[in-house]
Amino acid sequence: MKSKKVEAKSNIILNFFSSVKLAITLFILLAITSIIGTVLPQGESLQFYLENFGPTYFKIIKGLELYDTYHSWWYLSLLGLFSINLIVCTIRRLPYTLKLYRRDALDLSLDDLTRRPFKKVWKLGRAGTDETLKSRLKGVFASIGGKIRSRSNVQGGELYLIEKGKWNYWGVYFIHVSILVIFAGAVFGSFTGFKGRIMLLEGETTDHALKRDEAGNITRIPLDFSIKCDKFRVEFYPNGAPKLFQSDLAIIKDGKEVKKKSILVNDPLTYEGVTFYQSSYESLPEIEVKITSPDGKQRRFRLSAFEKAMWPETGLVIGLIKYLPNVHGAPAARVYIGDPSGNGDALWLLKGHDKEYRIGDSTFRISLVKGGEKYMTGLQVKKDPGVWIVWLGCIMLIAGFGVVFWVPHERYWLWIGNNPREGLEVVLAGQTTKNKIAFEKRFKKIEKEIEKITGEA
Amino acid sequence: MQINSSYLLSLTTFFYLGAAAVYLLYWIFRLHKVGILATIVTVAGFILETAGIALRWKESYALGYGHAPLSNLYESLIFFSWVTILVYLFVEFKTKNRVIGAFATPFACLAMAYASFSPNVQDSIQPLIPALQSNWLIAHVITCFLGYASFAVACGFGIMYLIKGDSKGEGLLGSLPSKRVLDELMHQTIIFGFLWLTVGIITGAVWANQAWGTYWSWDPKETWSLITWFVYATALHARFVRGWAGKKIAYLSIIGFISVIFTYFGVNFLLSGLHSYGSS
Repeated sequence: MKSKKVEAKSNIILNFFSSVKLAITLFILLAITSIIGTVLPQGESLQFYLENFGPTYFKIIKGLELYDTYHSWWYLSLLGLFSINLIVCTIRRLPYTLKLYRRDALDLSLDDLTRRPFKKVWKLGRAGTDETLKSRLKGVFASIGGKIRSRSNVQGGELYLIEKGKWNYWGVYFIHVSILVIFAGAVFGSFTGFKGRIMLLEGETTDHALKRDEAGNITRIPLDFSIKCDKFRVEFYPNGAPKLFQSDLAIIKDGKEVKKKSILVNDPLTYEGVTFYQSSYESLPEIEVKITSPDGKQRRFRLSAFEKAMWPETGLVIGLIKYLPNVHGAPAARVYIGDPSGNGDALWLLKGHDKEYRIGDSTFRISLVKGGEKYMTGLQVKKDPGVWIVWLGCIMLIAGFGVVFWVPHERYWLWIGNNPREGLEVVLAGQTTKNKIAFEKRFKKIEKEIEKITGEA
Repeated sequence: MQINSSYLLSLTTFFYLGAAAVYLLYWIFRLHKVGILATIVTVAGFILETAGIALRWKESYALGYGHAPLSNLYESLIFFSWVTILVYLFVEFKTKNRVIGAFATPFACLAMAYASFSPNVQDSIQPLIPALQSNWLIAHVITCFLGYASFAVACGFGIMYLIKGDSKGEGLLGSLPSKRVLDELMHQTIIFGFLWLTVGIITGAVWANQAWGTYWSWDPKETWSLITWFVYATALHARFVRGWAGKKIAYLSIIGFISVIFTYFGVNFLLSGLHSYGSS
């Protein structure tokens, strides 16, 4: 008695998790809640929400993690419930579908046949079997195409069957399972892969990417190799819209260059499962200065932004603070200059006008030789071993739709035999799961040809 | 006047406007000849629009840009109306029912009018920015818009279903297809649209993965296409719940299309994200 109650209870739970109503409820809930993240700015600092929405809404935003809606506990729970719904529904329907799938379409009585949606009966009204008639009818039936199966002694006659697209039964399963496969791929990828960024100056090499988490902390993701940017190019259309972003990259492993590729926005570079995407760029100023020491020695320095250079023999340190490409028609730069102890000064240099700088008694002459820009390419770095599972799921999804939409389950039956009372009889019957109009056309064609043969006979 | 693609395409607007009017007349007066005329005007507009699109493609090569006309809001609106008419003509051919035209051609006409005459929509041919320079552009846009256009037609069926109400027999409402037929047509077009929307989302994901390294980044356009997907998934499953068929699905086909419109315009104008190039 008790176990029955438990069973009934577990049935209620199973029914709940496998029900279409739950599916619909989840669709509607997911549709409505998904709107939140498209209206409310995502991924900002908590401070931002407090300032913009006030303390009351801030509490809600923080509690429900609305700053990252699609990864919040409740949104992921909805997706989890959706997955459970799919799994339970699939498992519960399986035996039923399997039964339908295994059912032999030849296991039909004459009465069953005449209850099909499409049927036609010819009563030839004479006894006996006519072998030539039989083979001609069979020939017409075979013109439908596909394999013919037959069974003799079906109520005194022979039953023929052509069945197509039986696997239409599995189309819906394909679709449902494919969604689970996509989820599985996404989860697998998020645990086994990484995403990061690299900013590389032309000529620069690095062996790690950087990752910023939600709290704004930056962590290093080491790579098993080094990547070098040889050159970056940007081009524009005459109307000012960007035309091309291109980085010439090289992969260096164990001191050897093992791969080279010029990547574009839609054409990334992949090495050992790690893919580098062109995602942004920055142009940084670069200048060349010439310094003449008091004893007449000259030396040239190339300086990029945030870079310092030193002239060891003289103890002079120089760095670039700011670069302006055009001041009264000439490039200008503000540089820091000083000695290693930290005493120094900031000077404006204009091309064509030398400046003097004194350390103690020594006077150095500094001139700006040229100024220009140097590019820094921004790369998105990603490793996602789950992406192939996701693609597999997508292919299954499309294939599932193809089956559900374009592969109807069609059955044609032909029965030739002796009706005990009325003599020789021919029955044609048909059934399809979709596109009844096209099916009817084909059915009528066969019907007409059988009509011709039985008419002659 | 110089014949260019914009001229041909703005002319198409008037053909579709005419077609919508003649279909409406046909619905009111039920004269077979008027029905034929409506179809002729629609087909003529469709041919003109096809020529306009082809010419625009050619013009983009003449300008040295050389890309399919599917790259900005103007071009996508044109393509939307083109596919809507294509899907509608297919439905008319299959069902032999012209009253549906009075509910489908207005969508194409509105899209064309908006594209051609709104000051918000630029009709100049623009070059492709690096993010759009991909073969996935054509596959993505075509599949998405096959979905959108089918949903527009399904929305037309939904409206027909609702205004049909419980009326029977003669009169304006009586001449609409029966509710059973409308329900079936609605279901078929929603399945068709759902298939293409799904393929559209997948091609978008493949493309995004190739361009940016993430197949799904919850950008507003992506999210809204998913919301649309959920609405139509509801409509498809509602059939299996007792008491949900018919009227509720008709409402869903309208809500779904509102979601499509928001995915298409609302996201461009009201929200910002990766798809911002669709807004000019």
